[in-house]
Amino acid sequence: LSAPSAHDVCIIGGGVTGAGIARDLSLRGLSVLLLEKGDWGAGTTGSSSWMIHGGPRYLEFDWDTTRLSTQDAGYIVGIARHMVYRVLFIIPVLPHDKNNIERMETAMEVYDRFQPLKKAHPHVRLTADEARQAEPGLSSEVIGAVTMEEWGIDPHRLVFANVQDAIAHGARAMNHTRVVGLLRDGGKVIGVRYHGPDGVTTEARARVVVNAAGPWVPEVSRMAGADVHLRPAKGIHIVYPHRISNFSISAESIDGRDLLMVSHAGFTLLGTTDDDFYGDLDSVDVLEDEVDYLLQAFERVFPSIRAYRPARTTTGVRPTLFKWRRYEDELSRKYEVIDHAATGADGFVTIAGGKLSMYRLMAEQTSDVVCRKLGHQAPCITATTPLPGNESELEPAVELGRRCGIPALAAMRLQTRHGSNAGVVLQDGRSGRMICRCEPITESELVHATRNEQVRSLADAFRRVGLAAGPCAGAACVIRAAGVIGNELEWSAAQRVDAAREFVRGAWLGRAPILTHSGWAQEEMASGALRGLRN
Amino acid sequence: MARADSLAKLAFAYGVHLTRRRLTRPRSQLTKLLETYGPDGIRPLLPEERERHPHLIGCINCGLCALAAGRVGKVRLPELASSYMRLYARLGEAASDVEGDSPDIEAAASVCPVGVPLVEVAAIVRRLAAG
Repeated sequence: LSAPSAHDVCIIGGGVTGAGIARDLSLRGLSVLLLEKGDWGAGTTGSSSWMIHGGPRYLEFDWDTTRLSTQDAGYIVGIARHMVYRVLFIIPVLPHDKNNIERMETAMEVYDRFQPLKKAHPHVRLTADEARQAEPGLSSEVIGAVTMEEWGIDPHRLVFANVQDAIAHGARAMNHTRVVGLLRDGGKVIGVRYHGPDGVTTEARARVVVNAAGPWVPEVSRMAGADVHLRPAKGIHIVYPHRISNFSISAESIDGRDLLMVSHAGFTLLGTTDDDFYGDLDSVDVLEDEVDYLLQAFERVFPSIRAYRPARTTTGVRPTLFKWRRYEDELSRKYEVIDHAATGADGFVTIAGGKLSMYRLMAEQTSDVVCRKLGHQAPCITATTPLPGNESELEPAVELGRRCGIPALAAMRLQTRHGSNAGVVLQDGRSGRMICRCEPITESELVHATRNEQVRSLADAFRRVGLAAGPCAGAACVIRAAGVIGNELEWSAAQRVDAAREFVRGAWLGRAPILTHSGWAQEEMASGALRGLRN
Repeated sequence: MARADSLAKLAFAYGVHLTRRRLTRPRSQLTKLLETYGPDGIRPLLPEERERHPHLIGCINCGLCALAAGRVGKVRLPELASSYMRLYARLGEAASDVEGDSPDIEAAASVCPVGVPLVEVAAIVRRLAAG
């Protein structure tokens, strides 16, 4: 056991909320320790729909949630300009849909009142012919459509930008570090005990411990003898490794739920399900039934959907607040900050519930509670302080590409991840050699990620720079990437093979539920290219 | 209470909407939509491109095309064709990558194990890159 370190605050959980709290408190001048048992954003955050959206569906329940959510989305768009891009939905209406075109347009007219808060355009209404001119792939059954604008974002980069900024302001942030117990003084929580990636158990003292563990909140709360009830809900997405359409599309499922096909920078997400989850949070499987449920809904509005080859599936569990006697889809995305002092666990604060679009606000309110407990007076400045990479205007991608000897396409992708720091990234390493052609990713960026972004495995590289996220699913890049990362981390030859094997096995689990005819062509190639690694 | 209040406000908005629809003549908004989002690269595919689209993006990135076209290491078309097609909304920004570039795409296409029509893909990439 190492000697304990001392901090003002220790935060458990490196999803977007935990990272946001670490940034907020660091900017307010407190000393912060942030601990994540896996990798940054590897849980619920990374398996989201990758959107900063305002939540028009809350208009049915509570307009204030829509207003707050939209307003905070606007702040995020402002502080993370290089990461966000417009996502334009076509919401087609078919005969017998639960909402006719007039009701749908009314909802969008109301939503338009909030859209300026997040710098988005108002809706337009399209006739059936116009909708099909915009997106020729829509079903001939469509009788009209309205549009809705949201913002897309890479949640992995968003989390890491928050972590990066927290570190820049004095925080210690450690991934692959599992909290195994809380230090107590009587009832009071005075710190944490954790296992680091090196297997060493360490203690850290903290005046306040924040539980931001997402769906693992009840498990962490029990360490403090506190009960926090959630109603965890599982959601899956099918991932296509390309833009199926420039327009995102909504569809109604067989049970009347609203599903989304979201067009992101270089891929499409189709989702999501929403089912009560009672299983092991560390091992959430995707079922073929869930895949079929999504495809069935989209086939109705976009008949050629089954002709596209998905790359993988993602799944995560939402940390929804507990509510009895409600269908999953009706559960609120509200959040709650709980100070456990009242129940005998002073020094312990939990943040539960919420959603990606409101992470900054959740972090602000949790930080306010922490500051009150510590008697620390400093205002929150996260709504206006740019995240790393957004401090200055971007150089045109073509010029960055020429200057650094890489294609403009690679430069453009680099800028979406690193913003105005893209040039610095390319200095960190040996060459502009392409490691991953799909994304594309240069050797320099991978070296930079390993040296400066806490990449410790190929899966970390997948989250940090999009390694193996494209059509080849790693067949062309996994071995090379293991070599580059292995050089930096001084892995032996056997460790490099083990790292590649671990990644390939993990990727297979996400791909198995969606393999169809054309998918097997990809699979055969991957098996050949990565002989033996899956055994 | 919040739910009842929200539903009442939506019902009122619905009434206003229906009244406005009765009193005003609808005008086409497609042009406005495309003008608004054109700068973000959100543009329609042509109907014939849409029909062929699943085939155009079938690349599995095996790299055989680059070997056949003698383009290994040059990281332009055709070996990045898949990447260009993934990102077609922002191809204008990468236009310089395909300027004056004319590798032997037909040779590349002839070895593709999944039959991606690379000649067609290259033409579309150039069209989209040109804006």
